Amino acid sequence: MNHDIDVKKLRVNCFRQSKVAGEFMIQLRVPGSLIKAKYLAVIQHIAETWGNGTFHIGTRQTLNAPGIKYKYVDEVNAYIQDYIKEIEIEACGIDMESNEAGYPTIGARNIVACIGNSHCIKGNVNTHELARKMEKEIFPSHYHMKMNIAGCPNDCSKAHFCDFGIIGLTIPEYMPERCIGCGRCATVCKKVATGVLELVNNKIEKDMCCCVGCGECVSACPSGAWAYSKQKFYRVMIGGRTGKQTPRMGKMFLNWVTEDVLIAVIKNWQSFSATILENKPLYLHGGHLIDKAGYHRFRELMLKDVKLNPEAMVAERIFWTETEYRSNINVKKPIA
Amino acid sequence: MGLQLTNAQFNQVLARLSAKYAIYAPKNFPLEGRYSDTDMVRYDGITQVEDIVFERKSDMSAKEIVTPINETIMFFFNGQVQESKIPQKEILIFARACDINGFKRLDDIFLRNSETPDYYYQRRRNKIKFIAIECPSQGWDTCFCVSTQTNDTSDYALAVKSTGESLKIEIKDQEFAEYFADFAQNSTCQYQYQPVLENELKLTLPVINSQEVLTRLKNHPMWKEYNRRCVMCGSCTVNCPTCSCFTTYDVKFATDSETGAGERRRMAASCHVDGFTDMAGGHTFRTSAAERMRFKALHKVHDHKQRFGDNMCVGCGRCDDRCPEHISFSSMIQKMHTAVEQIKQELNHDSK
Amino acid sequence: MTANNLLPINCEILAITKTTAIENLYRVRFPHVDKVHNGQFLQLSVPGFGECAISITDFSVEEQWLEFLIRKVGLVTNQIFNLNVGDYLPMRGPYGKGFQIANYEGKHLAIVAGGSGLAPVRSLIKHFHANPQDLKSFELLLGFKDTDNVIFKSEIAEWEKQFPVIVTVDNPSGAPDEKTGLVTQYVSGLKTIKQDMNSVEVVIVGPPRMMEFTAKEFIKNGVPPEKIWVSFERRMSCAVGKCGHCRIDEVYVCLEGPVFNYAATAHLFD
Ligand SMILES: Cc1cc2nc3c(=O)[nH]c(=O)nc-3n(C[C@H](O)[C@H](O)[C@H](O)COP(=O)(O)OP(=O)(O)OC[C@H]3O[C@@H](n4cnc5c(N)ncnc54)[C@H](O)[C@@H]3O)c2cc1C
Ligand code: SF4
Ligand code: SF4
Ligand code: FES
Repeated sequence: MNHDIDVKKLRVNCFRQSKVAGEFMIQLRVPGSLIKAKYLAVIQHIAETWGNGTFHIGTRQTLNAPGIKYKYVDEVNAYIQDYIKEIEIEACGIDMESNEAGYPTIGARNIVACIGNSHCIKGNVNTHELARKMEKEIFPSHYHMKMNIAGCPNDCSKAHFCDFGIIGLTIPEYMPERCIGCGRCATVCKKVATGVLELVNNKIEKDMCCCVGCGECVSACPSGAWAYSKQKFYRVMIGGRTGKQTPRMGKMFLNWVTEDVLIAVIKNWQSFSATILENKPLYLHGGHLIDKAGYHRFRELMLKDVKLNPEAMVAERIFWTETEYRSNINVKKPIA
Repeated sequence: MGLQLTNAQFNQVLARLSAKYAIYAPKNFPLEGRYSDTDMVRYDGITQVEDIVFERKSDMSAKEIVTPINETIMFFFNGQVQESKIPQKEILIFARACDINGFKRLDDIFLRNSETPDYYYQRRRNKIKFIAIECPSQGWDTCFCVSTQTNDTSDYALAVKSTGESLKIEIKDQEFAEYFADFAQNSTCQYQYQPVLENELKLTLPVINSQEVLTRLKNHPMWKEYNRRCVMCGSCTVNCPTCSCFTTYDVKFATDSETGAGERRRMAASCHVDGFTDMAGGHTFRTSAAERMRFKALHKVHDHKQRFGDNMCVGCGRCDDRCPEHISFSSMIQKMHTAVEQIKQELNHDSK
Repeated sequence: MTANNLLPINCEILAITKTTAIENLYRVRFPHVDKVHNGQFLQLSVPGFGECAISITDFSVEEQWLEFLIRKVGLVTNQIFNLNVGDYLPMRGPYGKGFQIANYEGKHLAIVAGGSGLAPVRSLIKHFHANPQDLKSFELLLGFKDTDNVIFKSEIAEWEKQFPVIVTVDNPSGAPDEKTGLVTQYVSGLKTIKQDMNSVEVVIVGPPRMMEFTAKEFIKNGVPPEKIWVSFERRMSCAVGKCGHCRIDEVYVCLEGPVFNYAATAHLFD
């Protein structure tokens, strides 16, 4: 067995090193988590032909086949050419060459998403469609980034725990002439959300300040007096992460931004990373990268040339709350 | 004998009609449904055939035109009262058989339930004529209008069937013939309004033939299931073509105003919703979902009939369409029927 | 087209008498007193605040006035308490089927009232107080929470001079001769229940539970349910059989009630 394997190069190619020497696990991207069921046959074929016959649902919603011997890597890469072409080039519209070399980079990780409003009664946005648009902005890039899209503030996909967590929102529109004054929206809002609605003489008054944009009032209303806004809105959580040292929940960077604004912001990720990393795509969690830059520098670079929609709000500052597994882990010698 | 007009031709007719009539029809309200990226179909004023939704049953019923969800009934000013005004125009409503029959039930309550007809209902009702919309041959999967014998109607001035690009038209009320005069020669076709004669759902309505059967049905365990399932939202009553309950309340325009200017409104109410029976002293009747369900269900298929001769329910199935908990009223009717038959057997047995 | 009978008419307040801490007696001029029956109610308005149903507690056809005993409990009644003599109190009505005097004439009549339930039967009591020859016998059984809540005290004193009146309070004050406890305890002691049941009539008005238990007590003491009359309490919004709030089964309390025969309505539960 030849042990001279460049594992770093293989990782960039989306093959993850196994504890069994010479074995790897391929990770197929599923941007936005929804694809045709026929692709299960692809991962099944890989697992049964080159892998150890098992299949792992990746924690970032990739399709994984472990136990692939190094000698089969080229064969696997040749085999997944069509998959990559259909998913990345055709479905996401990515401008990249279709070849037998497999994935060009692992930098931007697979975009995780909940099922969203294509199925879920709570969902405000179509997470898969948005993910495909986002994939185009972040892939293929060697700069690291973990993105996560939740269809509503329930955040089942855990957008609060990644570099860029996107949460679909609505600003429900109230039609008092359809309201029967039952107060159900207010009761439901109080029970499952933030309690910003109040029934005053049979009509609803809303304190927009603390609305989370979930749309529970809309689905609660018996008479259609609330409607989802025609315009979709998004919240952007940043800097969430897991890990051994300082895991933390992400904090709100933007609120009530439109899709156009969202895309314009994400487009700046490349240049932000390049600026902070001095054009060297190191493996550094997005959260650490934001820390390295400092929030204000991050905000400046990410909002560069972005024209915010009128509803948009931007965090003035961010107070991170980290779990320090060793106390004072953040206290370090100043960098000269 | 009927007419077949292209949508564009019919739009000319609508334009002529609209000089005299306010025309209402089921219309699509994009993205106003209960869940995101879903639509709502409800009644509204229309100006062209393209506005009318033919292929889907409306989520809300046509009752909103005659009993608006919120209606100002009078104004107050300087100690004087003045009734609200409504537009002068006559009213034409594109409606299905269930909706038109639903108006008969509303008439029972608003025009016939006491010696005095309801002024606010009557002033609109007197202006209304219907254009019957022909349904797909079996209606939709939640319809059971054949079982409630409300599948047919003769209360229409015109009837229409959409073919997509054109409309087939029956002119029943000859007063309307003049609006079609230009087309009378060249656009004739064989068309007569066809009611739905069979639904996918076939129900047997319960026949409650004695006080004892009614009492036992009220106490039957079948209602308990709804304590767990029904969230008491009232969606099933708001969109019901025959639910007519309302609450009256006042609005004061400015609290510091010397003139005491304000208005009195009617607002749709629901027996499923908290507060419907609250009384001073804190007493409430029917606090549980099961009691409220029983109250509504018996009204629909028994109480109204006792009073007026016809069952209230017109089998449109809209309650099932809008219930967020997928509670099916047609299934409930079936359960009531089974329970009633079982009760009758018990009573037979007891009397032997 | 029928006339709009839902528009209230302005009625002048002639007198206001404080009755208990939260109840006032209002006398208003009313032009249509000739249409009024004992036990009916009107819809009183305070424009900008709303309407509420209030029973007629007394009326005079000659002098064209109505009296209402109003308890201050919320939105509209609070506003009524801000009005003064000479102010207008808009109202519409009368509504409902009240007590049919003819039903009770020539009979042994017992009236049981709990708390402010006395208000809707007061005019009936006053009628027979003024016309004692119309009854074979008359008895009153009145229950109140405590002595402070006894309404129409001086009138009760007048009535007592003419026919037996039992007044009982839930919470004793310690006064001598005071009767205490629930009205149900006194039913078996009434003379009315000893009479030939064909000529007995019983009227019970009060909170729902009080009426239910009292009616059961009379039935236990041999009074047939058809001889018992109760006044139903239900939420009302329109008072004219349209809004649906007061409906029980096929019955509309605002139209067929509030006074019902107990036997005919025993099945009306919800
Ligand atoms: C036939 C009839 C006769 C009545 N006679 C009298 C009377 O003689 N004297 C008297 O003081 N009261 C009487 N009432 C009760 C009176 O109508 C209510 O207390 C009044 O409506 C409360 O109105 P509000 O706006 O002051 O209170 P709100 O602020 O509306 O409510 C206070 C409380 O009263 C309840 N309530 C509201 N509207 C009604 C209603 N229409 N019926 C019952 N409860 C209601 C509410 O649910 C709440 O618990 C009668 C009610 C009826 C139906
Ligand atoms: S749930 Fe709908 S009808 Fe009820 S108070 Fe809220 S908006 Fe009004
Ligand atoms: S049956 Fe359904 S729609 Fe009706 S009140 Fe219950 S949950 Fe709401
Ligand atoms: S109070 Fe409106 S129907 Fe009786």
